[in-house]
Amino acid sequence: MQLVAQIVLNGVLLGGFYACMALGFSIVWGVMNMVNLAYGSMIMVGAYVTQLAVLHVGLPLAIALPMAALATFMLGYALQRGLLNRLAERSVFMTLIFTFGLNMALINLNLLLFSADVRSLPDVFGRASFTIAGLSVPYSRATIFAVAMAMTLGLHALLNWTPLGNAIKATSFDPDAARLSGIDVPHVYALTFAIGGAIAGVTGALVATSYSFSPFAGESYTMKAFVVVVLGGLGSIPGAIIGGILLGVVENLASLFLDSGYRDAVGFALLLVVLVLRPRGLMGRRFFAEVKG
Amino acid sequence: MTASALLARWANGPWAGSLRSAAIAAVLMAILMVLPPFLSLYWLRLLTSVLMLAVIAQGMNAMAGFVGYPAFGNVVFFGIGAYGTALAIAAGFGMAPALLVGAVPAATLALAVGPLLLRLRGHYFAIATLGLNEVVSALAANLSGLTGGAAGLSLPLGAGTASDAAQRAYFGFVALFAASLALGIFLRDSRFGYGCRAIRSNEEAAEATGVATLRVKSIAWMLSALLTAVAGGLYARWVGFIEPSLVFDMAISVKAFVMFLLGGAGTVFGPLIGSLLIESATTLAWSHLLKLHLLVLGVTIMLVVLVLPDGAQGFVARHWPTVRAWWRPRS
Repeated sequence: MQLVAQIVLNGVLLGGFYACMALGFSIVWGVMNMVNLAYGSMIMVGAYVTQLAVLHVGLPLAIALPMAALATFMLGYALQRGLLNRLAERSVFMTLIFTFGLNMALINLNLLLFSADVRSLPDVFGRASFTIAGLSVPYSRATIFAVAMAMTLGLHALLNWTPLGNAIKATSFDPDAARLSGIDVPHVYALTFAIGGAIAGVTGALVATSYSFSPFAGESYTMKAFVVVVLGGLGSIPGAIIGGILLGVVENLASLFLDSGYRDAVGFALLLVVLVLRPRGLMGRRFFAEVKG
Repeated sequence: MTASALLARWANGPWAGSLRSAAIAAVLMAILMVLPPFLSLYWLRLLTSVLMLAVIAQGMNAMAGFVGYPAFGNVVFFGIGAYGTALAIAAGFGMAPALLVGAVPAATLALAVGPLLLRLRGHYFAIATLGLNEVVSALAANLSGLTGGAAGLSLPLGAGTASDAAQRAYFGFVALFAASLALGIFLRDSRFGYGCRAIRSNEEAAEATGVATLRVKSIAWMLSALLTAVAGGLYARWVGFIEPSLVFDMAISVKAFVMFLLGGAGTVFGPLIGSLLIESATTLAWSHLLKLHLLVLGVTIMLVVLVLPDGAQGFVARHWPTVRAWWRPRS
């Protein structure tokens, strides 16, 4: 029982991280109906910026993290403004294939700049942990969970309580009507992609603190973001949290019964089941995008 | 009635387009059949991989180009075909039955999950097929008792020299390529293919006018799976060693996708054109710009989408009038 409780707790902590990661992916998909397969590579860019800032410049993590977010924010704005806006009217698989190509290009650039070596930040938090009700919680995991939740709340606030949030939602609903009301749609698209990028940057900083990474590691994060978004439902922040935690818990529980090689497959099996039974996701609404069509 | 009169009647009938395509295909086949003695082993291998990718791209074209369903994870059938065939060869089967052992499970899988997954559209269908690939690939990597696991599977060597084996692989893919062209002509000109295109342009309208959409989609996917799986089987025999990360590699699907887009979606010869262009470009990138080959391929993909969204054929058709006007200015 103790073991199961510990595994579930680990799953929840991991799930918070997944939720945060998925939000950057979800907002781009929801607002522009675009699946960004280069998302994982943007996470890796955030991880590399963090690593450079902490290890080579000697900055504290609290400064490196916003730097990573800023870098991927700018990268995101430039990509959307310069390239992706041209695809706004195209069919969904054109953007899918385009971002796959973009992903290859980013992987190659990361390889050239940072080499194929697997990297990590040694012992940012150490191995210390604290105990709640007999369950051990490592500080590193708790910090990641806290940052992820703060990001999630921040995004919720941004979307619901600011003029920019209203502009983003209006554009998502109906780009033509938004344009007629004086919203600069290409700018809003670029900002949306940049916000998604900033979240990827923060995710990357978190990845750098606890996991090892390489230019090729991004793809598995893209896939996880995909699974979480579909599980929770597109365009829903509570959905992302529920989807993230569900994936985290199921992955950890599966490691009890199955070989570790099945870890990713379990997430995808769950995804297939949810897609077949409830194509709109657990919390999905018709707000941001349509499942069919 | 003489044969030539019969031919003339056919050539002006409703099957004229099919006949013309079949004639082009026959000429292509003749060229491909006499080519090997003039090619070094290197060029023979390159041409074999061009044909293989043209076949896979035709499989993708059948679903994504003709029916409008982006079956992104179609490489799952390639992997199943490769593993089925490899295991059958290892068990002592001949080549033809071994290919069946690869193809039948793949087609069955497509028919079994088709009715479930083909109710999803757009990104959701794409990601569901991707999920399918991940699950099957994880099974192949972990059921080590059956598949040899992540360490891969070596096939017993075939008879003859390396050059004989390369020739056999080449002619195998030439035959399969002919079948893929036949599938393309079938999907373009038959009543069934008409149903497919009706689904692509408006599924609700197709359903309302009596196309059994789910059945048509499932059968189209099965045909696509069949083609892709036999390609996987021939590939396994050709390279002699397979592992999950090699034959369930998403990059194969994506390449196939870019190829048929580049050549022209929903056309018979588009996949071959795309495969020729992309395979030459990537081979050049591999041999001259090893450190940049991903970048080159990635940028090529982006350029294809930005500049040639309707494929090379569409691009030419769009710009031909301009070129002609420039060539022959009106006096």
